[in-house]
Amino acid sequence: MDEEKTTLTEQILAEEGAPAEAEVLAKGEDVLAETPEEGKPKKKKKGGKWQSKNQWKAWLYLLPALAILAVFTVWPIINTVRMSMLYRVDAEGNVIGYHNLDAMRGFKYQFGFANFASAVHYSGFLNALGNTMLLTVITVPISTMLALLIAVALNSIKPLKKVYQTVFFLPYVTNSIAIGMVFMAMFHMVGIDLSNPQSVGIINSIIKAFGGKPINWVDMGSTKVANMVVLILFIVWNALPFKILVLLGGLQNVDKQYYDAAKVDGASRFRVFWRVTVPLLSPMIAYVVITGFIGGFKEYTSVVGIFGDAMGPTGGAHRLDTMVGFIYDNINGKTELSTQGRASAAALILFAIIFAVTMINFYVSKKKVHY
Amino acid sequence: MANQILASASVGKPAIIVAAVLAVLILGMVVTCVVLVCRRSADSRRKTKKFLVKAALYAFLTVMAVIVLFPFYWMLISSVKTLNEYNQAEPTLWPQQFQWSNYALAFTGNLNLGRLFLNTVIVGVVSTLLSLVITVLSAYAFARLEFKGKNILFAALLATMMIPGELFTVTNYITVSDLGWLRSYSVLIVPFLVSVFYIYLLRQNFMQIPNELYLAAKVDGTSDLKYLWRVMIPLASPTLISITILKMMGAWNSYVWPNLVANDLPHRLITVGLRGAAFKDTLTGLTNYPAQMAAVVLVTIPLLIVFLFFRKYIMRGVSRSGIKG
Amino acid sequence: MKKKIGAVMLAGAMACTVAVGLTACGGSIKPDFEWPEEGFNTSKNVEITFYNTQGDNLQEITQKHIDKFQELFPNIKVTASKGEEGGYDDLRDKINDQIVAGNQPNIAYCYPDHVALYNRALAVQPLDDFLPGGALADKTVTATTGEVPFGMTEEEKESFIEGYYNEGSAYADGKMYTLPFSKSTEVLYYNKTFFDAHEELKVPTTWEEMEQVCAKIKEIDTDPQHVAFGYDSESNWFITMCEQYGSPYTSATGEHYLFNNAKNKEFVGKMKEWYDKKYFTTQAIYGSYTSGLFTKQECYMCIGSSAGATNQVPTATDGQTAFEVGIAPIPQVDPSKPKVISQGPSLCIFKSDDPQEVIASWLFVKYMTTDVLFQAEFSSSSGYMPVLNSTTMEKSDVYQQFLKKASGFSKTGVAAKCVQVGMDQENAYFTSPAFNGSSAARDASGQLLQDVFAGKSIEQAFADAIAACKS
Repeated sequence: MDEEKTTLTEQILAEEGAPAEAEVLAKGEDVLAETPEEGKPKKKKKGGKWQSKNQWKAWLYLLPALAILAVFTVWPIINTVRMSMLYRVDAEGNVIGYHNLDAMRGFKYQFGFANFASAVHYSGFLNALGNTMLLTVITVPISTMLALLIAVALNSIKPLKKVYQTVFFLPYVTNSIAIGMVFMAMFHMVGIDLSNPQSVGIINSIIKAFGGKPINWVDMGSTKVANMVVLILFIVWNALPFKILVLLGGLQNVDKQYYDAAKVDGASRFRVFWRVTVPLLSPMIAYVVITGFIGGFKEYTSVVGIFGDAMGPTGGAHRLDTMVGFIYDNINGKTELSTQGRASAAALILFAIIFAVTMINFYVSKKKVHY
Repeated sequence: MANQILASASVGKPAIIVAAVLAVLILGMVVTCVVLVCRRSADSRRKTKKFLVKAALYAFLTVMAVIVLFPFYWMLISSVKTLNEYNQAEPTLWPQQFQWSNYALAFTGNLNLGRLFLNTVIVGVVSTLLSLVITVLSAYAFARLEFKGKNILFAALLATMMIPGELFTVTNYITVSDLGWLRSYSVLIVPFLVSVFYIYLLRQNFMQIPNELYLAAKVDGTSDLKYLWRVMIPLASPTLISITILKMMGAWNSYVWPNLVANDLPHRLITVGLRGAAFKDTLTGLTNYPAQMAAVVLVTIPLLIVFLFFRKYIMRGVSRSGIKG
Repeated sequence: MKKKIGAVMLAGAMACTVAVGLTACGGSIKPDFEWPEEGFNTSKNVEITFYNTQGDNLQEITQKHIDKFQELFPNIKVTASKGEEGGYDDLRDKINDQIVAGNQPNIAYCYPDHVALYNRALAVQPLDDFLPGGALADKTVTATTGEVPFGMTEEEKESFIEGYYNEGSAYADGKMYTLPFSKSTEVLYYNKTFFDAHEELKVPTTWEEMEQVCAKIKEIDTDPQHVAFGYDSESNWFITMCEQYGSPYTSATGEHYLFNNAKNKEFVGKMKEWYDKKYFTTQAIYGSYTSGLFTKQECYMCIGSSAGATNQVPTATDGQTAFEVGIAPIPQVDPSKPKVISQGPSLCIFKSDDPQEVIASWLFVKYMTTDVLFQAEFSSSSGYMPVLNSTTMEKSDVYQQFLKKASGFSKTGVAAKCVQVGMDQENAYFTSPAFNGSSAARDASGQLLQDVFAGKSIEQAFADAIAACKS
């Protein structure tokens, strides 16, 4: 359920990124006005009676949606901003944000930016922010490149195309948590003495078969780099289907005559790919990159899937925390300092980052994207 | 028979087999490329070249497909292994012995999968039905009815989609606690009933339906609701089916919010239960990975079945929305 | 000049802090509980709810004594239930959720850090007024047997094991919030058959002896996947070592997190050395209670909860268990000043708008915690230790019978032996200070050990643990 909410932003951006839909939004007002324009003058002439009756009806139809949106969307926007600004200072000088349980005691709160300051100065937040940035910056290019290669390859074969297409889409219809557990199982080593484990797990067995040395990927004593590699593999695995689907859809709509023209010119395959395919696909690429960035900044369930709530291996809990994980940890925090005020501040920071990155992406793609 | 051969073949050095297959494929790709580069100028070899390109493409796709499918394969074969076999030094690529009782464990152990299935289905069905009603009514109002401030309101709704859900969650958690809704079905259903995106999708769909139909219906004296039910809904049914499937999959895959607000057995959803359950071997207390994988299979299979049946709708919905499940 | 400005600013800042502090703590000073004018109204029915985490067999015993209590006070109806499927933490989370909506139970199983959490919203009823010397200690209420004292009598107070009783006031404000219900501790389980077979092995009473025993066991059993002992809870180990060395861990007032000190780093360094020599493993590292290793004879000692005694007994084949389980107190730093951790649930009462509910709840809590027969029956069925001292418990035949069953071969036998070992060290129990964040300190200390074993530097691990507490 939550995932739906979190993807709403992706959705509109998705729509904006896709050229056909982008027009719809860019000309939002016109499109919105289109239908009414036909009817409006007529109705007005008909007189206000019918129209006012209709008005009343329209609001009635909208009532359930608006009521729920008011409580669970509009109020949160206001209240989260409010909570992010509420804080108190305890006897030891700690900044303590708003928390609903504390509030029941009738604390007096001050108004200001202290929650933001305390979040930014806090190492757990910086770790989460760093991890999130790193994961996004690494996984988005990798998955986009791979998806592009696969989509182009898929587009140039005929037999078995449907089969491959279905296979590559499969990761999409899985549960991130469930498959995360499978990844954990594949990389997991068994034994008390992990320098000499009872079983090294299937991935390490494959590495060994190639003459490599087993690596402690996800267990006690593993390095953060090793954890990250597993996480990146999983995120890329998870992100591929959507990107392939969109890019392949784009490829199929590309006019064949561009390729024919390139063939006549005798361009090499690589040149064709780089000079014809990529530019023609640029709106789609921009689209998957933007949604990828937004998804990346909200990374959380992948980590939970592999490492559980501890957000890290044994002996390294919270090492792999992400922004969203940080926010959730603070909502019903178990220490006095982890508060909803701080969670609100972190959520607003996340919003600002996503907004900024999206704007930059739009700006860059406006310059680079060929329509 | 085939099983036996596979099993005995794989006991020795299973990883070597995987390695060999992958190596052959990769080698094939490399050779193909080299050959291609060498013979680039040879005009008469055009056909061979074309063939080699195809071979390279297939090799690449196959390697990627193997990587994509490998977790599924590992999940399936692990789910029927015995714990001993799973933990042995050389992993087997095919179970030596099928232990189907791992699947029974998922229902009897602390996971209580039956209850989780029930909870998830209840939440999924109720929220889908209510959500459809609300979405249809609102989309209809935005597409066909006239009222003051319609355009501003619609634009405002679209604007809310820019905001990440976490920003709502903090306050929503407090709201549902104050309402006393924590640990209830309501808390899993109500906050997510309205999806602005679905309203937008359906409105676009409704607007494609010619206005003449509506006017004709008005002349016939058909009421709005009747028109909606008789004409608009059937015409928009593909979108409605997409919404239904994505909504159901949403309930199935949701983790973060349910984990926060309703992690108690009577209301726990499937994903939360799966992650939270401890799969312990009764004798040693060690994690029983085969039992865990069996539960993972049980959670994954329904999604795959739905996918096979509604492939078209899911892919359509996905490519438009980017919704994950 | 600069100094002056600095001083003024500092003074200003202090004044502000004080002012904020005052507004924060402010409010009229009200008594913790106001005795209703009508007293305890026996003509009015009162329903109270009691959340626990007991399994079915223990619910039965509890219910039996609830019935007896209800005979004493027919207008009180006690509904006892498992508040939530799962353990103590699940119950805590549920109650914490309920407090916001105001539908929490009247009485609940609790640990000190739960109470600190509930008291974020000041939801727990302080008990000081009801204790000997308290404002309401002399009040009486009418039971079917006649007028009985409402408050706790001096004699009742004396019957508790002191360490357990004191846990109730381990809070920053010094108020008493809980009474102990049933308790457990950590004991050392050892493979007696194995120890008997190897003369050089002596059951360790100090950590120095432990080191020697481990070295010898590693010589006897050289399998790299085997260890000498398993310690279930890293957190308990860390906290117990702090206590045994007398070095600071946490404080309920002032600076809370004091465990970042040289002494603690020293013993953590020692543990890391042992870990690298494969002397031990822990629950987090092994992935489950180390009793799994113990019963498989892959380790020969196991330090775990006395309440988990039955899990330490190997499954019998043909009526023959694989080895005899021995039970001893955990090793000490200084055997003349023994310290062992006290665990297990206490009871807290939640505030209520209806004073009758609070009175009824208190009467019930007092009854359950001080009734010798209940404590004896509950102990013998659960393996938990009674909260009353041995002089009081010895009066109970049920309890005596239970202790006589002690043996190293059966589940009941081992449980009885555990209770005996636990009761023999009744002066050694300690509880850590409870405050909002004490559970964070507990988690962080366990995490600290795991991090160090996994290879993090000791300095870094301590710094990170302190940072984690302050998050």
